[in-house]
Amino acid sequence: MSGADTTLLHFEDFRPGQTFAFGRYEVTKEEIIDFAEQFDAQPHHLDEEAGRRSLLGGLAASGWHICAMAMRMFADGIILKSANRGGLGADECRWMKPVKPGDMLRMEVEVLETRAPKSLSGVGFVRFSCRIFNQREQVALLNMTPILARRGA
Amino acid sequence: MWFEDIVLGETRDLGTHTFTEEEIIAFGKKYDPQPFHIDPEAAKTSMFGGLIASGWHTAAVWMKLSIESRKKEVAGGRNLARSGVSPGFEDMRWLKPVRPGMTLHYSATPFEKVDLKSRPELGLIKNLGEARDETGDVVFSFIGKGLVARKPKESSL
Repeated sequence: MSGADTTLLHFEDFRPGQTFAFGRYEVTKEEIIDFAEQFDAQPHHLDEEAGRRSLLGGLAASGWHICAMAMRMFADGIILKSANRGGLGADECRWMKPVKPGDMLRMEVEVLETRAPKSLSGVGFVRFSCRIFNQREQVALLNMTPILARRGA
Repeated sequence: MWFEDIVLGETRDLGTHTFTEEEIIAFGKKYDPQPFHIDPEAAKTSMFGGLIASGWHTAAVWMKLSIESRKKEVAGGRNLARSGVSPGFEDMRWLKPVRPGMTLHYSATPFEKVDLKSRPELGLIKNLGEARDETGDVVFSFIGKGLVARKPKESSL
């Protein structure tokens, strides 16, 4: 071991088909409303009664809030343990079920693809599929592609 | 306004947002605590050379401006399509770093209508969402999806 960096996961440590499971994110009413007030001030994200009248069947988190909570679980589970160099994007997101106060979220992650274009020295892309569950069922799917340093780069 | 009334290719200007260091750090600490989102000193030695906003922060601001712009247009008497539930998005790209003090200009352009066999009362609209920096470069883009009510067959509206 020749330095702290060797303890981090690098591009070469990921292979298609690898799976991870982690996360424990408790969704609170206060946080749902706080996020919605800042970024998605629609009645069904702010008010229980308005939520009941909507398709969501009760106060429910903004889809963008679900992405943010998923990012936090993904950061704690993988990214903060990796030699991360930023993110390319998120090629797919599906909001499948409402996320409500009291839900406990967790995540199952699979590596879909890894690639290291010759034009980019020192880094590669790892495309992850993240399935987000509450205590009953899958609530969302989010594919993300972080940029990871290559070993020795 | 119904699914049928939406004009493809007509860009909605959603206005601008200036990112502050304080809000970049607050969002990063809560949802994306990588050093280059939360620690200005550590960010200097990162590949970005300074603090940058989480891509999810850049995305959430698109939603914020979309809601605010909708409220202004409705208050101004414009008959907009009923805001519906979204099943998700595709192809989100974080193309350039967003730094403190940058002002981004956001927009939305509907470009495709999709019929839904399973939900004949609704249609799916695909929107190109974008944010550009002061030089006009696209720094963020994604394809949003929205479900919009179709005009009822018996309606005389």
